[in-house]
Amino acid sequence: MSEPLIRTEGLTKRFRSGGGLFSRERVMTAVRDVTLEIARGEVLGVVGESGCGKSTLARLILRLIETTEGSVVFDGTELTALPPTALRAMRKRMAMVFQDPYSSLDPRFTLAEVLAEPFRVQGHDLPNDAVPAMLAAVGLPEALATSYPHQLSGGQRQRVGIARALALHPDLVVLDEPTASLDVSIQAQIIALLADLRDKMGLTYLFISHDLGLVRYFCDRIVVMYLGSVVEVLPNTQAAPRHPYTDALMRSGFAPDPARRREIVPLGGEIPSPFALPAGCAFATRCAFASDRCRRERPPLSQGLSHPVACFHPL
Amino acid sequence: MSALLELSGVSVAIGNVALVDRISLRVEAGRILGLVGESGSGKSLTAMAAMGLLPLIGGRVTEGEVRFAGRDMAGMSDAERRALRGRRIGFVTQNPMTALDPVQRIGAQVDIVSRLHLRLTKAAARARTLDLLTQLRIPDAAAVVDAYPHQLSGGMKQRIVIAMALAGDPELIIADEPTTALDVTVQAQIIQILGALVRDRGLALLLITHDMGVIAQICDRVAVLYSGRLVEEGPVGPIFANPAHPYTAALIDCIPQEGMAKRSLRGIPGAVPSALAFPPGCRFHPRCRRATETCRDDAPPLLPLGAGSVACHHAGPP
Ligand SMILES: Nc1ncnc2c1ncn2[C@@H]1O[C@H](COP(=O)(O)OP(=O)(O)O)[C@@H](O)[C@H]1O
Ligand SMILES: Nc1ncnc2c1ncn2[C@@H]1O[C@H](COP(=O)(O)OP(=O)(O)O)[C@@H](O)[C@H]1O
Ligand code: SF4
Ligand SMILES: [Mg+2]
Ligand SMILES: [Mg+2]
Repeated sequence: MSEPLIRTEGLTKRFRSGGGLFSRERVMTAVRDVTLEIARGEVLGVVGESGCGKSTLARLILRLIETTEGSVVFDGTELTALPPTALRAMRKRMAMVFQDPYSSLDPRFTLAEVLAEPFRVQGHDLPNDAVPAMLAAVGLPEALATSYPHQLSGGQRQRVGIARALALHPDLVVLDEPTASLDVSIQAQIIALLADLRDKMGLTYLFISHDLGLVRYFCDRIVVMYLGSVVEVLPNTQAAPRHPYTDALMRSGFAPDPARRREIVPLGGEIPSPFALPAGCAFATRCAFASDRCRRERPPLSQGLSHPVACFHPL
Repeated sequence: MSALLELSGVSVAIGNVALVDRISLRVEAGRILGLVGESGSGKSLTAMAAMGLLPLIGGRVTEGEVRFAGRDMAGMSDAERRALRGRRIGFVTQNPMTALDPVQRIGAQVDIVSRLHLRLTKAAARARTLDLLTQLRIPDAAAVVDAYPHQLSGGMKQRIVIAMALAGDPELIIADEPTTALDVTVQAQIIQILGALVRDRGLALLLITHDMGVIAQICDRVAVLYSGRLVEEGPVGPIFANPAHPYTAALIDCIPQEGMAKRSLRGIPGAVPSALAFPPGCRFHPRCRRATETCRDDAPPLLPLGAGSVACHHAGPP
């Protein structure tokens, strides 16, 4: 088997807050002991509700923030210990697309300037036909090169964000909820574009979303996170969920078909504070199957089942 | 059956920009009408028109009638319209923080609605608030009334806003994207609560959403808006099974579904036009796969079809 493009080992990030004159310092674990691999050419989905640590995981993988514990290996090179110059060279091979196409583009720059930026940062000359080619690759007319971001629709802005990310032909693209602020009609356009670009350029995607339906449609494998931890890794888009949380996520979505209405059984219980995670399984407070053992002991991501699941009572 | 809320040919303008064009809707007691469309299609303006709130944003109804329980709202005094809101019409917004006062305790904010509209005493209002929070399955309601909004999760805050909307014992709830800002597990909870309110109390609900899944799950009828115009309306069963309007069909096809082949989602080409430059003829024609010469020249009228209506020159199965 070939070496994965990305391998993380026990990746952990803790944030400290407070600790000033009047407040006690508090520590929260945003990402907890995450070990995963992304194969070359794969689309790996990361799904979970807001605050579960998806964006923090993405930033750790790109080393946009420092890790508290654990490591990230990119194409055989350990990123966590890389000195700044080597890291900058490595950065060419990774890119990120953000959720909000409104705030991720500088309003003072024309699209041509926005798209030239990655070349400038890396100290490369801008090839003459680069800007028109980049616009064309994401389905935007060349005439837009002299426009400013505020003159574009939300979907067009996200196309610019994608073009900028792909400027230097990266290997890995991290897509952090790239369609979350768009209408479904435009979301579908963007997803189709991402699929085409991946085929053409041989890209590897880490695709982050809170929408399990979307992730199941677009990704090859799916990592499900809850309060900083990986609770399940679905090996393909057909696999039935075995973790009760993944199952609850699946049951929370509604099919656009009145013939398939179903009784809604909402999750009870409260989400624990990330500053005071329980000793046992973080999902135990909301889980219908929780036993004493679940409340006491933290279930490891078990490898013995059909696929990795962190649960003492898998479905 | 007579409608509780009825809009007949309502147009809305802000300044001299016409934004909503002759929309007709009916919401009946014990029924849920879904209002759906991409952002910018005029859903919120329609809700504001229904509540007589357009003057707040400098807008006005330029044509048509809004009737509540048979009475034309244009003929009411400001005081009458104010009394209607809160007392007979409850409102739930997308962002609970726009409805909640950050520096006031939860209990006081809910109490004031029934004190004002039902003239309850302080003690009776508090009892009603506690009862409502319990019905909305808010754990430990007795402690929550003493909390401030920032101490509660998003889903909890939205349930408080629903409690405020219910506190005046209204007959109609207008909910404008009540779950858009929430996580899916919380969305499911709120949708279940809204559905139960209609079933158990016979409330009428106008539910605005851009989520066709939510519409299919709990609405009785759906009205589809595009660029300020109603393009299709009818019972959800036939509309989802056989959408007659190409826009309705396209919106449904945008949703990733279980078992869908990879690469089958393509979306709707282009984008919603600006209100300053609505296309002539059918406003959907630049994005429509069925568009012909006629569509570019003439606006299709809204015509009855089955138990609903549709506005398209080429309505019917694709
Ligand atoms: N720079 C930071 N400082 C303190 N806490 C943070 C910081 N970034 C994220 N967090 C916290 O870490 C948790 C995970 O956040 P995030 O990774 O943004 O989640 P997601 O992307 O899944 O919504 C949240 O509780 C968030 O408040
Ligand atoms: N206060 C306002 N001033 C000017 N235009 C507005 C205002 N509110 C809404 N609009 C315009 O009216 C149209 C419909 O808006 P809205 O009803 O908010 O749409 P929706 O709720 O369907 O997203 C949009 O084109 C929007 O730009
Ligand atoms: S009237 Fe024409 S352009 Fe409009 S939706 Fe129907 S087919 Fe499409
Ligand atoms: Mg995030
Ligand atoms: Mg709106």
